[in-house]
Amino acid sequence: MRDRAFAPSRMLIYLVVLAIAAAWLAPLAVVVLNSLRSNEEIAQASMIGWPKQWAWSNYAVAWSGFCVAETCAGLRPYMLNSALVTIPATILSTLLGAIAGYAVSLWRFRGDNWIYGIVTLGLFLPQQMRLLPWTIVLRDIGLINTLTGLVLIHTIQGLSFTTLFCRNYYVAIPHELISAARIDGAGFFRIFWRIILPLSAPILIVTVIWQFTHIWNEFLYGVTFTTGQQQPVTAALIALSAAIADIPQHGVQSAAVIIAALPTLLIYLLGGRYFVRGLTAGAVK
Amino acid sequence: MPITTTRRRLLAGSAAALALPAFARAQGAVKPRLTAISQWSAGSDGAAITALGKKFEEKGGVWQHSPVPGFTTEMMNKLRAQIMAGDPPACSQLKGPEIAAWSKIAPTVDLDAVVAAAGYEKVIAPDLAKLHKPGGKWIALPLQIYSTNMLFLSKRAMDKAKADKIPVTWAEFNDLAEKMKAGGVPYPIANGGTRPDDGQKFEAALAGISPTAYRAALMNLDKKALEGPETKAAFVQVRKIADWMDPNVGAQHFSTNLKRFVDGDMGMMIMGGWAQGVLRNAGFKFEDFIIAPGPSDNSKPVFLLNADAFIFWQRKEPDLQAGQTLMAQLVMDPAIQTMYSQITGSIPVRTDVDLSGEGWSDGQRRTAAALKDAIASNQAVLSLAHNMAQENGMTAAIIDVITEYVKNKTIKPEQAVTRLAEAVEGAR
Repeated sequence: MRDRAFAPSRMLIYLVVLAIAAAWLAPLAVVVLNSLRSNEEIAQASMIGWPKQWAWSNYAVAWSGFCVAETCAGLRPYMLNSALVTIPATILSTLLGAIAGYAVSLWRFRGDNWIYGIVTLGLFLPQQMRLLPWTIVLRDIGLINTLTGLVLIHTIQGLSFTTLFCRNYYVAIPHELISAARIDGAGFFRIFWRIILPLSAPILIVTVIWQFTHIWNEFLYGVTFTTGQQQPVTAALIALSAAIADIPQHGVQSAAVIIAALPTLLIYLLGGRYFVRGLTAGAVK
Repeated sequence: MPITTTRRRLLAGSAAALALPAFARAQGAVKPRLTAISQWSAGSDGAAITALGKKFEEKGGVWQHSPVPGFTTEMMNKLRAQIMAGDPPACSQLKGPEIAAWSKIAPTVDLDAVVAAAGYEKVIAPDLAKLHKPGGKWIALPLQIYSTNMLFLSKRAMDKAKADKIPVTWAEFNDLAEKMKAGGVPYPIANGGTRPDDGQKFEAALAGISPTAYRAALMNLDKKALEGPETKAAFVQVRKIADWMDPNVGAQHFSTNLKRFVDGDMGMMIMGGWAQGVLRNAGFKFEDFIIAPGPSDNSKPVFLLNADAFIFWQRKEPDLQAGQTLMAQLVMDPAIQTMYSQITGSIPVRTDVDLSGEGWSDGQRRTAAALKDAIASNQAVLSLAHNMAQENGMTAAIIDVITEYVKNKTIKPEQAVTRLAEAVEGAR
């Protein structure tokens, strides 16, 4: 065994894999290093370099210091806004998607494939195309410039993905399970709650990761349908980078990017090992 | 909790008593209020708009600014959403021909009376005035100006070239670049790789060769001028510039090169006046570089105008209307323009502001003088690369041709001229 692990062909594979990993991680390394260099140091030297002095203050400024026009509170309030949108929208879209996926895969009814098709059609509509329709909807129900409006948008738009994921997972569940439960007198929701949901952990984790990441990183709707201090964290990040008459604040920007990426990173670390497993479930029958 | 309630009442009562004089003053009039959206949020842009808001509040107004971070597209999306929701901001940042285009989708405020009262039209560049009164009436007001074709010279590169004369014409510019190259400056031109960068080189070239041809070709999209000899000469000049710059710019911001520029590894930079603030904020000294107007073959300064402005959207609420009037007065006020430009590094729109005093840099003084001279000789034109000459779609079509020409050196100048004319035709 030992010999095989060090066989030339193995070593070559490791080398290639290491090289790819290094190339993949290089941008992250630059961001991490720059998050510890002062803006001046970066401007006076170059974008890539080792910190001369550890500028930990970048993190303090990014978290609670820098100004977005009149408001000088750093990322903190915007992180909260993003959480207030992302968490409910993730939970709602995942739950509704699970129910929808369960309905179209295990409760066949007339036109179920059509409904499934129409729901997943949402995947192919570009974001910009949906911007105006959403404007009209939010205006008519009075939710423009509210975080609730954003939760609604992301819940509904998330349905395309979550329904797709859950449906593909549930089609692999033996139909006999459902039939047996029905003979025992269980209805639609009882079967979902007692039988399907306990089987769903891998796919629910996948959809949660997927939805959380997408909603957290979303910018277009976040900046169009909120105002002032309700803006999401992506808007605050862009605000940091869009100065005209200033040297780009690479140091603070890098620190801010890392802080803003932490929640999604955390979700990946917690649920990552389910990710590939859940995605491929039901792919090969 | 009876005690707290009493205390609270007492407090409220005394606050009301204190506020009484203010109420008395405001009797008969509403408190002006302004809802504004802009993309100014970070750095000195954010600081300047915040300072303007403070002035608005000092005059008794209520300032409600919502920054829309990002670039113009994001702000336009936001504006469109607000207009469709029936709640347009009382004023919003907008510039160039987009003012005319957007004024068609929602009613704007007629500012003629307040502009006339301030005598504003007499003190600003005529081409600029035209942009802000698309239907013959003032609906928007310019706030600050940048020139997009200032010439920045690296002192160390000048030393290497053993040169001390600031080039005035393109021929002198080319001479200096050759000297720099011979003197050991690897890249006589510093350039970035963002969307406007190459366009800025081209507009500087064409306007410097002939402001008349620039007006005809890029502002009026005249087919003959687009295919004319001046346009071809501009492409020839841009190819020279392209050969002198570091091709490895990717999509980098021009500021990535500042260190090499100051060190004399790059010699000259054709950039907007804002680069001065960037150099200063990066910790470089005024002694490290020289600022001059961009090359002009007739030796009189050519000024490529980039002006930020506010457009005013019709509102029925009396407090918002009062706020709009107050805002318009403030934007035209020389003191406010001074304050604003001193924060951002731009120059005032008004040509009658005295820049000799403290708080102005030499670069700003030179820029303002260049603007005055350029207006006098009818050589102040609107920048293409910064969306002042054409609407976004047309600008993008033209810049695509220029950027491809800069990167692909097998394209000949005469081919570029044809491509340019075709791109304009296609985008019309």
